[in-house]
Amino acid sequence: MIDMITVLLISILAGFMGALTGLGGGSIMIPILVAFGVPVKYAIAASMVTIIATSSGSAASYVKERITNVKAAFYLEMFTITGAIIGATITSFIAPKLLYFFFAAFLLTSFYGLSGHLKEDFPKQFKQDKFSRWLELRGSYYDQAAGKQVDYEMTNARLGGPGMIVAGLAAGMLGIGAGAFKVSIHELILKMPSKVSSTTSNFIIGITALAGASVYFSTGLLFIGLAAPMAVGTTVGAVAGGRVLNRLPSRFVRYLFLVIVCGLIIQMLYKGVTSP
Amino acid sequence: MTQASGEEKLDRAISYILIVGVIASVLTETAGIISYYFTQGNLSITFQPGDSLKGVDFFNYRGQTIQSLLLGGWTPLHIMGLGIVLLMITPYLRVVASVFYFSVAKNLKYLAITVFVLVVLTASLIIH
Repeated sequence: MIDMITVLLISILAGFMGALTGLGGGSIMIPILVAFGVPVKYAIAASMVTIIATSSGSAASYVKERITNVKAAFYLEMFTITGAIIGATITSFIAPKLLYFFFAAFLLTSFYGLSGHLKEDFPKQFKQDKFSRWLELRGSYYDQAAGKQVDYEMTNARLGGPGMIVAGLAAGMLGIGAGAFKVSIHELILKMPSKVSSTTSNFIIGITALAGASVYFSTGLLFIGLAAPMAVGTTVGAVAGGRVLNRLPSRFVRYLFLVIVCGLIIQMLYKGVTSP
Repeated sequence: MTQASGEEKLDRAISYILIVGVIASVLTETAGIISYYFTQGNLSITFQPGDSLKGVDFFNYRGQTIQSLLLGGWTPLHIMGLGIVLLMITPYLRVVASVFYFSVAKNLKYLAITVFVLVVLTASLIIH
């Protein structure tokens, strides 16, 4: 069986990658822990804590750099948290096999959607709709890689909100951050710039994961010896990732996102095929 | 107070909450892991029923953990457990700080939105 030092080392790497891509690190950890013989339910429960560590750890360096859009985060969180609670309830009734395929299918959509936009660092000009303006969905941040101040607006908030219910639903069902869903919705529907998208996703993931983690209190699946080294490792990794992010070109961040999403699709399909 | 400076204050407040919470959590967990090594002589992970975080609800567990640390009779797992609880409090406090900010800024739209998130989050931590 795996020991705390091994868990610690794997977690540092997962936290780093999770912070760079906005994925949250949880979905990277679960298959690795299962490969080491940790029961999947325990891995998922501990992963919830990991997601909080990634979120808070990386956000501590981002928020200072003012990239995260707090208003957009809270508007979207209303839908994500509702979805997560519904999702956790549904999981009690649906076979996990179906969930894996549903997940893989949705990830596949986000992969195709994003790959078409690879050359864009920032979304093209568009007209902000009335509802998004009413929600004050706009912002500004200094992009170190591009060396300029970026002003942006978001649009399609009416569509993006319900889209986040689906993201929350998946997070609640599978016990992961579902960052891939969130980042896709941010960029494809709300037209957030790439970096605002991953930092805001990290913000949302922590709050949603807390709601998910609370479920494991009642079930007793959250094992301290597993969760503690995971939390320490992911925090260290996430802080390092958060510091590196703003120095990387958006295109690199996006490529990294695509590679990891690709890996997750394979992981989910494999799980779907092999689960009873 | 301009809108921009208010938002800056919120960002800074949230940032401090996260930094303090995360550092306290990491230090506590690390201390727990080290004391685990010195009491057990190894760092193997065990999955016995008593090794998991469990309580009637989150707030109840938090109270129990702190109580056992104050009254003695604690184990390295209690210290690690406290670290995890500290970590779990950070996103919660982040929401509380935002509710506070939007109420001070008199932004009713976002006060309603953040209060909704706080209520749902609190309910998920209490109701089981």
